Amino acid sequence: MTRAVRERPQGAAIARRVAGHIGRGLVMIWVVATISFFIIREIPGDPVQGMYETLLQKGMSPDQAERATAVLYGFLPTGSLWHQYVDYMWSLLHLDLGQSLSTPGVKVTSLIGSAAQWTVLPVLAGTLLSFLLGVTMGVYAAIKRSGKLGDLLALSGSLLHGVPVYVIGLLLTAIFTTLWPILPAGGPVDVAYVPGFNAGYIGSLVYHAVLPVATYTLASYGGWILAMKSNVVAVLGDDFILAAELRGLRRGFVFRYLARNAILPLFTILALSIGMLFGGSIFIEEIFNYPGLGLLLVNSISTRDYALMGGAFLVITVGIVVANIVADLLYTAIDPRVRSGETA
Amino acid sequence: MSRDSAAAPGVRIRGLTVVYKTPAGELPAVSGVDLTLAPGTITGVVGESGSGKSTLALSLLNAVQPPGRISAGSVEIDGLGDVLALGGEELRRARGRKVGYVFQAAQNSLNPLKTIGKQLLDLGRSHDVDDLRELVRDAKGLLARMGLDGARVLDSHQHELSGGMRQRVGIMLALVLNAQVVVLDEPTTALDMITQATILRIIREVHEERALTTLVITHDVGAVAEVADSLAVMYGGRVVEHGPIAEVLGGPRHPYTQGLIRAIPRLSGDISLARALPGRPPTLGTLPVAGCVFRERCDRRMEICDTVEPEPVTHDGRTVSCHATGRPSPAVKRREYA
Amino acid sequence: MTVTVLPPGAGEVAAGTTRAALRRNFWRGVWRVLCRKPSRMAGVVIVVGFAVMGVVGPLLYPANLPRDDNALYAAPSLQHPFGTDFEGTDVLALVVTGARYVLLTGLATAVITVALGTAIGLFAGFRRGGWDTALMRLTDLNLAIPGLPLLLVLSTVWKFTSPLSMGLVLGLLGWGGVARAVRSQTLSLRERGFIEAARGLGLPTTHIIGRELLPSMAPYIAMNMLIAVTGAVYAQVGLFFLGVLPFDANNWGVMLNLAVFSGGALTTPAALPYLLAPLIAILLLTLGIVLIVDAMDEIFNPRLREE
Repeated sequence: MTRAVRERPQGAAIARRVAGHIGRGLVMIWVVATISFFIIREIPGDPVQGMYETLLQKGMSPDQAERATAVLYGFLPTGSLWHQYVDYMWSLLHLDLGQSLSTPGVKVTSLIGSAAQWTVLPVLAGTLLSFLLGVTMGVYAAIKRSGKLGDLLALSGSLLHGVPVYVIGLLLTAIFTTLWPILPAGGPVDVAYVPGFNAGYIGSLVYHAVLPVATYTLASYGGWILAMKSNVVAVLGDDFILAAELRGLRRGFVFRYLARNAILPLFTILALSIGMLFGGSIFIEEIFNYPGLGLLLVNSISTRDYALMGGAFLVITVGIVVANIVADLLYTAIDPRVRSGETA
Repeated sequence: MSRDSAAAPGVRIRGLTVVYKTPAGELPAVSGVDLTLAPGTITGVVGESGSGKSTLALSLLNAVQPPGRISAGSVEIDGLGDVLALGGEELRRARGRKVGYVFQAAQNSLNPLKTIGKQLLDLGRSHDVDDLRELVRDAKGLLARMGLDGARVLDSHQHELSGGMRQRVGIMLALVLNAQVVVLDEPTTALDMITQATILRIIREVHEERALTTLVITHDVGAVAEVADSLAVMYGGRVVEHGPIAEVLGGPRHPYTQGLIRAIPRLSGDISLARALPGRPPTLGTLPVAGCVFRERCDRRMEICDTVEPEPVTHDGRTVSCHATGRPSPAVKRREYA
Repeated sequence: MTVTVLPPGAGEVAAGTTRAALRRNFWRGVWRVLCRKPSRMAGVVIVVGFAVMGVVGPLLYPANLPRDDNALYAAPSLQHPFGTDFEGTDVLALVVTGARYVLLTGLATAVITVALGTAIGLFAGFRRGGWDTALMRLTDLNLAIPGLPLLLVLSTVWKFTSPLSMGLVLGLLGWGGVARAVRSQTLSLRERGFIEAARGLGLPTTHIIGRELLPSMAPYIAMNMLIAVTGAVYAQVGLFFLGVLPFDANNWGVMLNLAVFSGGALTTPAALPYLLAPLIAILLLTLGIVLIVDAMDEIFNPRLREE
């Protein structure tokens, strides 16, 4: 009964959690890599074999052609399936994703590297904005839950949560570039400006990012407001809030107790939300002609650039895995119950 | 520890009425309750669930939660005035500093995300305590007084403490600002027997050391018998009987109190002697509007009970609200209870 | 983009004899919940309207929709409520005839998602142990793999020519959420001694699953099915919009693609109705399903019922 205060093996618990996440993430990356390997091999008319034969016809020796194809796709065109697979995985381990076919001579990794910033930054901005907006509105919707305004906020949340991201993007574009043209229709930046740290270039970047970031924000705002509302309602019913009031705590403290307890469970959805936005980037970048990973993936499919396609697919997956781990670490850092290994 | 006012304050509840808003209109959960807590005593309030005892407890801090509302009455506390007339900052400062409130143990009255020590500091800052170090020292002293390692407890989160430890932390937080009126709402419910006994002993000892005026709400007559000086019995939102505890338990006058005591099974003796009270406890909706609220379950019901609500009558320091008391009554068996 | 309704606690299982009576009460309850908020009735009307559109819509128009070369991108008028497209075809006719493919895919996906998810979730929760662990690892993987990028990559191999094959692929990618929800529901029923009690009565496993477990989970399964329909509609319309699938059939996604990337709907207001018509169709369908799910939530979640 008068059990001693339990020891807190914090370090070990956190390490175990992180190790588990990394393990699962690696398995997922392996599965996705395997899928993309087999898909590239299964594409009608086997592009790898096709390339190999084209090079042979151009008069290359089988040896040269084999090496050239291997450079392009990251695995050998000849040999057994198993041999090809091992070869492909080996290249992956060395972060070698082959070369792009549509822009010859350029490595897939460098194409992906320059595209990644155009996806990661807007996704992060959109996540942050929608989180702040959704959490604030969620608290408001919870406090006003019996009124008309609360109903309206909740319905707007459900609708935005339910509507696909491209509908939001297209509607925003239709409104702000066609009907009331105050924002640029597409592209990441105005070509008139010299890239660099100057006001014109940065201003143009921000100006062009308004619509994509707004789309990312609205796409995940609905989920946040709904989750936050139900969390706040639940915590409001908890005894410790009433207890804090009865102890005469200042409103600021009571509100902080409420907000922190209600926000905490949201971190478990954070990873899901970021994953959704990464997937949504495909539509958003297509609509706004934004040169990120999603557009790279779609373009690689229409230009039949399979090495690039496999690479972009893999990197988007890795992005989601990393977001998962980061979200869980944030959660662990904030919740003392998880930190002490209670629910680990 | 500074003890500015050595004398414990008295508490006078007068005509307290609390109504709850329901689809069927506003229904009273507490109606016209008069109750005086003598300075320096422990008053127990017992009653079935739904009798309005928790609502009464919350009224002492003017903290009845919606859809409830205090519609009439006053709660005078010496040195503070009418709590029900307070509002805003004044009320907030009175809570915690003048009147301490201890929650039921099983329900969690502590923020799960903060250590006890940090919550103690939040409490101190909320009440403009200048010397937070002294506050922590006081808290450790109180926890040690209750048999806990203060430093470790302050460094713990709620989930690292057992139910009995949490309850002691709750008592510490209610007392650390030197509140002299303390309300304990079901302090031992959901605790095991041994912890219950420890908590009750602590309540009694701390009460005497600190010259407090204490109100203990419980449905457990046995628990209250161990600590209280006087006992108030609630039924259907009314205090039907109030008096020194030994007298109320030894010679109950209200038929409900008599039934309540008959219903207690004894450890020694025939279990079949314990008789449950017939009928069901009333709810807000089933409470009679006129007449005595207990008449449906009463074995001494008279004609007048259907139409006239009995007034509380005080006699020899005991207050009873019943038309039948004072008239010849069937002898109550098992008077030996004390 | 998968959203899953998690069970807030197990529903009650009806005893055999009172089942018919309960069912009658149930429908009366459904009616009451629908009547309380008129918006829910609107949800039902919208969804039924779309279903009718999918079934009889294509019969209302000739197989090859008439073109009018004199009215390319005509403005909305009485004759063409949403104007015409780049070939002078009535946009409303395109939306109505396109509904069948979209809704059929949605339905196929929902059936596969729910069947697969329920089977896996039930099996995992019922058997527990090693099977449970393995299946839940698989479910985690299914949930974690980004659906849309995978669909895009798969589109290079499969052409998804029929709504059914499209539904099959979407269903295979989307069962994870349902499986997890059904498993936790099964476990919570098990925790309350449901399964042991039924075993004790000597009931066979098929009876326990079919007559006791499934009915109590039906509400969540139904809600998840509706949500799966919307998910499938979004995914396939999105794929056609991105233009990675061949434009065989008339379809809302094809309309979006042509409006944006060929019609210049984002630069000239003339093509705007062509773009907005399918968008409004999607929004309406979403609204209808959101309203129905809201009503179902109240019917099946007793905590929300009396407020």
